[in-house]
Amino acid sequence: MASYVVVVFFLITLNFFLPRALPGAPISALDDPRSETYVGDESSRIAVENYYGLDRQLGDQYTTYLEDLVQGDLGTSIRFNAPVTEVLGDRLPWTLLLVGTALALATGVGMVAGVHSGWRRGRRADKGLLALFLAIDNFPVFFLASIAVFVFAVKLGVFPLSGARTPFSESSGVLAEIADVAYHLALPATVLALQFAAFQYLVMRASMVGELESDYLVLGRAKGLGDRALKYRYAARNALLPSLTVAGLQVGVAVTAAIFVETAFAYPGVGRLMFESVADRDYPVMQGCFLLLSVAVVTANFVVELAYRRLDPRTSP
Amino acid sequence: MTAPLLEVSDLSVRFGGDVDALRGVGFALDREESLAVVGESGAGKSTLAHCIVGLIQPPEAAGSVRLNGEELIGASAATLRSVRWRLVAIALQGAPFNPVVPVIDQVAEPLREHGGLSSSRARRRADDLARESLLDPALLRRFPHQLAGGERRKATLAMALALDPAVVILDEPAAGLDPATGRELLDRVHELRRARGFSLIAISHDLPAVARLCERTIVLYAGEVAEAGPTEHVIGRPAHPYTWALVNSYPVTSTTKDLRPIRGEPPDPRAVPSGCPFHPRCTQSETICRDRHPPLERSGGRLVACHFGGLKVLLSATLVHKAFHSGSRRLDALQAVSLTVREGESVGVVGPSGSGKTTLARVIAGDLSPDRGEVILEGERLARSWRRDARALSRRVQLVRQDPWDALSPRLTVAELVREPLDIAGAGDQQRRSAVRARLESVGLPGYGTFLEARVHELSGGQLQRIALARAIAARPKLLVADEPTSMLDASEQARLLVVLRELQVEMGLGLVLVSHDLALVRKVTDRIVVLDAGRVAEEGSSAAVSGRPRSLAARRLMEAARAFAVGDERGASERASGGGTN
Repeated sequence: MASYVVVVFFLITLNFFLPRALPGAPISALDDPRSETYVGDESSRIAVENYYGLDRQLGDQYTTYLEDLVQGDLGTSIRFNAPVTEVLGDRLPWTLLLVGTALALATGVGMVAGVHSGWRRGRRADKGLLALFLAIDNFPVFFLASIAVFVFAVKLGVFPLSGARTPFSESSGVLAEIADVAYHLALPATVLALQFAAFQYLVMRASMVGELESDYLVLGRAKGLGDRALKYRYAARNALLPSLTVAGLQVGVAVTAAIFVETAFAYPGVGRLMFESVADRDYPVMQGCFLLLSVAVVTANFVVELAYRRLDPRTSP
Repeated sequence: MTAPLLEVSDLSVRFGGDVDALRGVGFALDREESLAVVGESGAGKSTLAHCIVGLIQPPEAAGSVRLNGEELIGASAATLRSVRWRLVAIALQGAPFNPVVPVIDQVAEPLREHGGLSSSRARRRADDLARESLLDPALLRRFPHQLAGGERRKATLAMALALDPAVVILDEPAAGLDPATGRELLDRVHELRRARGFSLIAISHDLPAVARLCERTIVLYAGEVAEAGPTEHVIGRPAHPYTWALVNSYPVTSTTKDLRPIRGEPPDPRAVPSGCPFHPRCTQSETICRDRHPPLERSGGRLVACHFGGLKVLLSATLVHKAFHSGSRRLDALQAVSLTVREGESVGVVGPSGSGKTTLARVIAGDLSPDRGEVILEGERLARSWRRDARALSRRVQLVRQDPWDALSPRLTVAELVREPLDIAGAGDQQRRSAVRARLESVGLPGYGTFLEARVHELSGGQLQRIALARAIAARPKLLVADEPTSMLDASEQARLLVVLRELQVEMGLGLVLVSHDLALVRKVTDRIVVLDAGRVAEEGSSAAVSGRPRSLAARRLMEAARAFAVGDERGASERASGGGTN
């Protein structure tokens, strides 16, 4: 537990310095005469810098950052001119929905397919599934996303092109709204889920195959247990452990993958926000996004560790 | 006559198309019988066990395993499920468990799955089973990794007994356990077998452990049955050369002899030798062994797969009488003495001075003719004759005499002495020279330089004894009769020579008759000891029995006089105090 606190503090610090190590500055556009937002007046520029605290010493900025963070203040977005917490708060539910759905779907499909495939190693079902998921796994996620957009939204028109909701629609009841959200969610979530499912499948299949030769499985068979009991109670139950680690890792990967998918589908989530904030050098938003990402990864690892302790008796003393 | 409980016939298993794990194995096991399956690693023991539970099926397995009349090879999944654990339960090698499930649930699993017991009743029953297997039920609540090796094995035993099966298979039940724990566990198995009346198959490369447990033993070699029969015969008096070699390589307290490895390497299951699979490692193999596969046939109260019915008898002397006359006095040196030496065996002949040891040595080496009785060497009567075949036969036995000055011609050089037997055998010149050198070096003498030109009078007694031995083994005899061959050597030189002899026994299956009055020495080198007293056999038995619990007066005297380092032990201290050392 203490190690997690240290890790989080380290991430918070890294989170402050990393954006500042990037070339360029948030208000450099104000300095550039070619820029549309060029501010000719020297004193005005200084006032702007002063307003955002960008003229202060780095150490000074860091302590202010930490103090504010403790109070739950992530600063003010330079681009949106609004508190970062508010900006994030608007976007987070969409990402949670997208990533959560995708991960749940991916873990379910990947594991079930992996267990089945590994159990029937070398048979036709295994070969088919293996080829399919290997192919998916080797497509970059943005490529998959682009294809999905092109085929299903542009050509076939069965799914919306972008957004999380039909804009300017009159709310005609909660159910209709849920349907609308799900309709917009379907394509990006599926793309994301396929990507994760492929990896989860490969790991699950491999660890399942690893269990096939184990002595305890021979024992189970000698005990006259049925195929189902052996497959699930014995092999899959043990093969589950590496998959759990994968699921934890994927939370971190998921947020990154969400950047691509949300960008491709113009989905109003944290991923797209992160992409935009990096482009704009919007330090506070970047920090906010990265902080969220780091905390998500650390939390996921923590949860995996807790789950491990419950699922694998060998990890507890 | 009803069919036996378990009948395995012509069972073969081939993995991956070219690895022969089992080749035509057959045996039967009846109710309440116990059977040990022994052999080196890779002999197919575990594969056999797996077949009996139906874990190996066609196309890998072929042949028949009938349990209670039900054929298991090629049986349906439903049949197998109905047989497993209810009729036959196995404790697998290494006592594996599902690592993520508490042990108690795994012990109780068959009770729930097959016995239809509720979870709580199954657990209570599991506790009883654990107690029966000498395992604290509290330990059952733990996970497999939290149990020590012995505890896991006890839990495995408890699990195997869950459904009261007719056959219990234990694969390496005591491997890796400390001797006390292993013994406790095996004793418990024995008691449980008595109480519950199950048939037992114990599989192990640990012969002594399973031999104690089982009435019958089968010895597997390269996936075949080499020898099968009552344990007291198979392990107590092995007939197959492999069993004999295997028994000799175990450090046990039931023999005083030094360990001997089996020559060569275990066979590659991908390329099992033709004919008898043991022939490349066997010291008595002949052409037939390479060409024809030996059938498993009855021989000496057990089944043996050997063309010669087991170990050959190198020498058998029956009821030998020999008397010497000087004037009107008649001295009966030997009276009705019999002696047998088998392939690779070494027999000690001990006794006080004048007991007839040397006479016996000379008689069995063909140096003296017996008055009555006969001496058969490798199936042929040993006669003093100048006929070519008689001379060839007599070269098969070599005598190393007590007094080297007497035995070695003073006119010949060292090289000539060692070379002479080779000249007689008609070996090539180059071959002879290298053989002379090798033999001399093997007895710890220089095989080159001026030493080769030395003559008897220039050498010490110890050197001469070694030359006599080198000369004897130069002709590669089948039987060596050595009369006090090391009496003039230092202890370390003597130890070295005995190692050489032991190696020759391993490599060539040399039979050895060691004549000595030094019982401490003889017991280290021999399998059996014959005690002579006044020309008669006073006692005969295993070297451990004769030296450990001598029955005859002569043997007791010799044992009392035998050397021991009595330093720091009370007996030695008191003897030193009373002025009587042991040395």
